[in-house]
Parts: sequence; C-alpha cells; structure tokens
Amino acid sequence: MKSDPSTRACSPTGVSRRNFLRGIPVLTAAAALPAPAVAASADTPHWGMLVDIRRCIGCQACTMACIQENAMPEGSFRTVVSTYSVALADSAQPAGTYVLPRLCNHCDKPPCVPVCPVGATFKRGDGVVLVDAERCVGCGYCVQACPYDARFINHDTNKADKCTFCAHRLEAGLLPACVETCVGGARVFGDLNDPQGELRRRLDAAGVETKVLKPEQRTAPQVFYIGLEERFAGKVVGQGSLWKPRASHA
Amino acid sequence: MNTAIVETINVTREVAWLPWAVSYFFLIGLSYGAFLLSLPGIVLRRPGWEGISRLALLGALVCGLSAPVALLADLHQPGRFWHFYAYFSPGSWMSWGAFFIPLYLGGLLLYAWLAFRPLLAAHGREGGRLAGVARLLAYGGLESRSALLGAALAALLGALLVALYTGAEVMVVRARPLWHTPLLPVQFALTALAGAVGLTLLFNRFSAGTRDTATIRRLAGVLAATQLAALLTGALWLVMGLSGLAPVHAEALAQVADLPGWRLTAAWAVGATVLTWALAALRPGSGLLIGLLALHSAWMMRWTVFIGGQEVPKTGAGLYSYQLPLGPEGLLGIVGTAGLWVFILVLLTTVLPLDRLAGTRGHGA
Repeated sequence: MKSDPSTRACSPTGVSRRNFLRGIPVLTAAAALPAPAVAASADTPHWGMLVDIRRCIGCQACTMACIQENAMPEGSFRTVVSTYSVALADSAQPAGTYVLPRLCNHCDKPPCVPVCPVGATFKRGDGVVLVDAERCVGCGYCVQACPYDARFINHDTNKADKCTFCAHRLEAGLLPACVETCVGGARVFGDLNDPQGELRRRLDAAGVETKVLKPEQRTAPQVFYIGLEERFAGKVVGQGSLWKPRASHA
Repeated sequence: MNTAIVETINVTREVAWLPWAVSYFFLIGLSYGAFLLSLPGIVLRRPGWEGISRLALLGALVCGLSAPVALLADLHQPGRFWHFYAYFSPGSWMSWGAFFIPLYLGGLLLYAWLAFRPLLAAHGREGGRLAGVARLLAYGGLESRSALLGAALAALLGALLVALYTGAEVMVVRARPLWHTPLLPVQFALTALAGAVGLTLLFNRFSAGTRDTATIRRLAGVLAATQLAALLTGALWLVMGLSGLAPVHAEALAQVADLPGWRLTAAWAVGATVLTWALAALRPGSGLLIGLLALHSAWMMRWTVFIGGQEVPKTGAGLYSYQLPLGPEGLLGIVGTAGLWVFILVLLTTVLPLDRLAGTRGHGA
C-alpha cells in the first residue's frame, strides 16, 4: 500500500485510513533529507503526489481509471502516461522507452487561478486546485495559463476541466482512482504535512532526487517525480506524437 | 528535428481560444484604431481630415458593434456572460476587459451619435432611404461641441484601456513563450491601427471620394508610418531573441525558430509589411491594394498568434495539428461574424451613406 489520502479528510465512517495504513509495513527507508516542498500548516492536510517513474510500466491503467471514474468525454484526458522512444547510444538496443505520467500539478502558486475572470478556479485549503463548475464561463483563460497543458475544455460540460486528485473520492476516504489502480505502485498519494505518512517519508528519502516539472515556472507543483530526466522536465524536444487521440466533437 | 526522442503516446490539447477569439481581437483592434483615426477630423478639426475621420468613425462603429458578439461566442458558456459582472476578479485582465468594453462602446456610440447628428438630420431632410428613421435618430440634428468632446474623451479612455487589456491579457500568459513578450501589445496596437487605415481606405474606395487623391495620400502616409513602426518592432523582437538580451524573447524565438511552417509565416508577414510600406510610401495612390494588404496583415498577425500559438504544446514534442473546422467553432463562425459585420454596415450606411460621410455630398459634421 502506498498512500494515505484520508487521514484528515471528511470520512463519513469516521474511520481513520491512516491507522489502517500504519499497520502495513512500508519498504522505503526514511533518510533525514531536506523536504522538497512543505505545506503551510501542520493542522490541515496538504495533498500531494509522488510519481516514481522508475516504477511506471506505461500500462495506462491510470489513464483508463481516470476516464472511467470521472466520465471523461472521448478524446479528453485528465491524466495520461506520455510515452517516448529514446535512441540509445551506449546499448546493444537501438532505443529504449521513457514514460512520464502527467496530471494537474496542483501548484501552490497556480497560474491558472489569478487569470480566471470570474474566480471559478481556486486552490482549496487542502492544496487541491479545483474549478467551480457552477461559476465557470468556459473562457479558456486558465487553459492558456497552465504551463503543463493539464487543463482543457470539456466538450460535454463546456467548462474548464482538469484533474481534481479525485476530490470526491478523498471526501469518501478513498485514494484517487489513478493511484488506486497503478499497477507498478508508481503513484504515491498522501498528506505532505504528515511526517509519518508514506508520501512524506518517500519524499524525504529521495531528497534531491525529487524533481518537479518546469521548475523555472516557479509554480511550486505539488506533484513530485523521482527519476525525472532533465530533457523531459519541460517541453520535450523531439519528434511529435505518433498517436494523439483527438476529441471528436462536431 | 531531433529524432533522438520520438513521442509515441501523448494527448492533443485542442485550441481553447477558437477562431471567434481571432475575430474579436481583429474587430476590436480595427475599432479602436479607426476611432483614433476619427479624432483628427472630428475632434481636432484638422483640415483635409473631415472625410477620413467620418469614414473611420463608421468603421469604428461597425467593428465595435460586431466584436463583442464574436467574444461572447468564444465563451463556451455564453449564457453566463453576466458572471463577469457578478464575480469581478481584479487579478485577471479579462475581468477588467469586461468593464473596459462597455466603457469604450458606450463612449463610442455617444460620440458617433453626436458627430453624426447633423448628417442624419440632412439625410432625413433630403428624403433618402429610411429618412424617417434618420430624422428620429438625429433628434433635431443639433451640434453640441462640448458634449462631443466629452464623449470623445470617454471613448478615448475606453479605447486606450481596451488596447491595453487586449495586449496585456495575452502577454501575461507565461506558459506560452510566444505570447509572453512585452512587445506583443505594441504589435497588436500597431497592426490594429494599420488595419483601421486599411478599412478606411476600403470605405473611401467604395464612396464617391474614390478620386480624392489627397485623402488617399494622407491615409497612405499614416499607413506607411505604421508599417515602418511594425517593421522596427519586429526587428527589435528578433534582435532581442537572437542576442539573448531578453530571455523571454529568446525563449519565444527558440520555440519556433526551427519550424519550417513558422519560418514561412514570418517571411510572409515581413514580406507583406515591407510591400505595404513600399506601396504606401512610393505609390500612395494604390489605396485599395494597400488597404487590403493592411487588413490582411492585421488578421494574419492575430491568427498566427492565437491559433498558431496554441498549436505549440507546452510539454509534448512537435506541434498539435490544427485544421479549421467547418462548423460554428471554425469557418462558419468566421463567416457568421463577417455576415454580422456586413449587416451592421448596410444598416448604418442606409442612413449614413458613404458618399455623405466621405464629404462629397451634404455637409460635414
């Protein structure tokens, strides 16, 4: 088990998931290294995610789970595992595969929030960046402002759409669908404020190996990566996609 | 192209700002540009500018009235436009724009009405088409200089704020390096003014003032100046990008410098600007041609910035491919906006014929 999302979330049953999780042995040794990004208050949860690329097998189970959980229209994705074929110079094989799960980074300084002309997009106290669908006018300004191409206009709702860390599942004491379904255990979700939580301990153990996408944008992403290569951290320079699904709205 | 990395699976993010947005930025730019052209003849009473300024004011009205429709259509929830006023967000340029647009259009309508009242009254007296409506609109046809100046001032403030917000709104998007350069608002404003000159030349061509070479030469002079300024701004953009003096320009240039399609677009834009400048400066009599060229450049600049800019992925490799859809979110939207523009033009020129505005019939404002 790799996550503890509901420690302080409103669980209808009142059962602490953390207590359950604490009973399960974890394999990661915690090293006392500087924390990469810490939430403001220790009294409230601050949800974050760690993606251990070394464990990702590129199966797209997370992509499919997200589509099913969030009823995404055809051709729309809140998360995807970008997959690259990379030429190898020092190997018997001509090329290898690099995978990079992408989703909303739930930035602590989200550029999508200030541009919203009606205040529909906001960052919740627990760190989750959300869109108020009742208020959104579908202007697409937040889509432009997101440096990670994580937002899009949902053609079913005609509103801005993005990963919510499965906020509805968090409230029910469940993990985000992509984390729940991850075959390789590459996605670790939890409370960044919880020093005993697996997420915090894994981040601390990884230390400087922990990276974020596009750090130069200074958005303070709350999705962290282990095994993120420099040339994939920003806009990838290479040949364009061989397969890019496109929404088929008419 | 770097083939060391080949993206095998990723998603396409569709353009979120549709051709409706291009139409809006094109029309609102022409409108505030044409409004500025209306000032020398109507407000400042500069000799030789009367006809130009009246034609320009007509252009400002037609474009100004059709632009917000395109803007509204670009919202995916157009019925919620009132949210802009119910949930003001001072940190967003778009939110401010929702207040600047009515300020500009309100001032423009009042200014145009005050400027055109005598012409409307003349049209009513002479019994032209819809003379009764013209008489009604003229409301006595009195000329009030102080009211005109007050309305012009309000419209000027609105026009400057619209020019500011339309540029800043795009410029602040750091996630798109091509947009995130301080010169972008300047380039928007210059091409808007040039397009407004082009539109006025077009109106002049279809009025009885066609043979008024002084008018054409005067407009050609303004157009040549805008083209020169646009070329200098473009050169400055390039120098800052190539030299690395400004990292934002270098980043913008790096995004597209190696792409053949973007190189062709840049060459086309520079070629069209140089040609317009050369014709305007050396053969100022070619009014219709340089007018159309200026309009083409204003549209092309906005299409390239908005649609071309959104084709560049923020994280993925290569480019997203965009094909203009035929429906409302594409070609039909552009044609529909153009249709609305023509309808408003026909409506206005029925009571304010181009000949009268060009100063070749009736009396001036």
